[in-house]
Amino acid sequence: MFSALSRRRVIALVVLTCLLFITLDKHGNPVIDRVRGVLATVLQPIDTSLKAIALPIERTWYGITNYDDLERENEALRDQIEHQKGNDVEARSAVLEYRLLLKVLQLTSKFNYPTVEAQVIGESPGNFQNTIEINVGSVDGIRQGMPVTNGAGLIGRITRVYPTHSLVRLITDPAYSVPAQVLSSSDDADSGGRVPGVPVAGTTTTTTTTSPGTTTTAPSAAGGTTTTTAATTTTSALAVVRETGLLQGQGGNKPLLLRFVDSSSSLTNVKVGAIVDTAGGIRGLAPQGIPIGVITRIVAQSADSSEIVEVTPNASLQQLNFVAVVLYVPTDDAVGP
Amino acid sequence: MRGIFVAPLLRILPVGLLALSLQRVVFANHPIHDVRLQLVLALVVAAGAGGGADRGAVAGFVLGLLSDASGDTPLGVLALAFGVGGMTAGYLHRFTPDPQWWLAAMFATAGAAVGEMAIPLVKAITGDSGWLNSDLLITVPIVAVSSGLMCPLLMPVGRWMMGVKRKKWKAMAE
Repeated sequence: MFSALSRRRVIALVVLTCLLFITLDKHGNPVIDRVRGVLATVLQPIDTSLKAIALPIERTWYGITNYDDLERENEALRDQIEHQKGNDVEARSAVLEYRLLLKVLQLTSKFNYPTVEAQVIGESPGNFQNTIEINVGSVDGIRQGMPVTNGAGLIGRITRVYPTHSLVRLITDPAYSVPAQVLSSSDDADSGGRVPGVPVAGTTTTTTTTSPGTTTTAPSAAGGTTTTTAATTTTSALAVVRETGLLQGQGGNKPLLLRFVDSSSSLTNVKVGAIVDTAGGIRGLAPQGIPIGVITRIVAQSADSSEIVEVTPNASLQQLNFVAVVLYVPTDDAVGP
Repeated sequence: MRGIFVAPLLRILPVGLLALSLQRVVFANHPIHDVRLQLVLALVVAAGAGGGADRGAVAGFVLGLLSDASGDTPLGVLALAFGVGGMTAGYLHRFTPDPQWWLAAMFATAGAAVGEMAIPLVKAITGDSGWLNSDLLITVPIVAVSSGLMCPLLMPVGRWMMGVKRKKWKAMAE
């Protein structure tokens, strides 16, 4: 067998090699990136074959064990759809109003960026990383750092890109952080966090489809399909408060933590229920205005007297199926190594 | 030393790729109390319990590197954690050269606990300290016990993977 010396040598060699690899990868190494690419290519057919075997077994098992639950869930969802139909009309009106305001104030928003639809094909294999794998990659125009959303809001950002698939780090991962802003009014409780309306007449909104799988929605003065609405809403004198901070994940299914940049934030109207969305900016990882979640708890005051609040994401990160990658490329500074 | 690196590599890579793929396709999608069981770590500690500390460390290193390269962790983080786990399980051979299955399962449980606990610790050293929290009190025991239970099944695979032959004992002629 092996002498004590050789055993020690083996263990020392393993530890030192690991430390060397960690150092090289942390600083970005093209060789390591290529190795990852090769491994991804090798693993793909094995994954596909195993899925082909495992999926029918899984479905049969679920069919036997979860039939009653699925039927109950289906009925509940049908009820929910009926309720949502009513809310949908109100929401459409709010979106039109929002786009008009952006146009009037000449602000950019996430609607200025095209998106690529993707399907979730894998989850993180370990307990200490919150990632998902999606079925679009560099051939679809995906680049590292791009924000990923679903219908409910921001879910993460692209961290590794391969030709036909990519890895997304979810917003709940502790290594993820994004500049965020809280939108609340001085009378947030009454208004439900909504921006008050302004008189509107002759609104023009255009929706254009650019290519299969890529949709662009942007306010436009002419061309495309034109929807004209005439509406008048009452104007109230509520002041909208905008607080900026850094939003970070806490791992697992825990809510996100928002630390405010301005130490005087504790004096303002940050309340439970206020809406949190991306702050944008030159060094931002996402364009301004992508919804993230709502404040559910004001945790504590940090050393510099600013408040730390807990934010529950809008998106249900446990049940992701289809997502959209926003084709917004952050600066290299924002993405990091 | 060359023997434990070169010869098993031909076996460890295909077995490792299959285990990794099973982890990604099956085990990742069926968590227990939000904890994903770790087949790759179970295989590492089984190899350690069957072949000794040095072989456990090498198995952990190679399978950890594969896991790192297929995921989002910096290359070397899981390799180091799994290496430590495999080494811990392999210390069983200091006490007995041919352990019974239940003793191997106990050491595999301890090795898996150390290996799983080492992941957030190594991550913290690399600057990602967010995983060191109370969730470990649930995650580590579930992963450790499940790896211990899988050990008797995986130990023959681990032995073959690392090129370890089971000792045959002969009674001395009087």
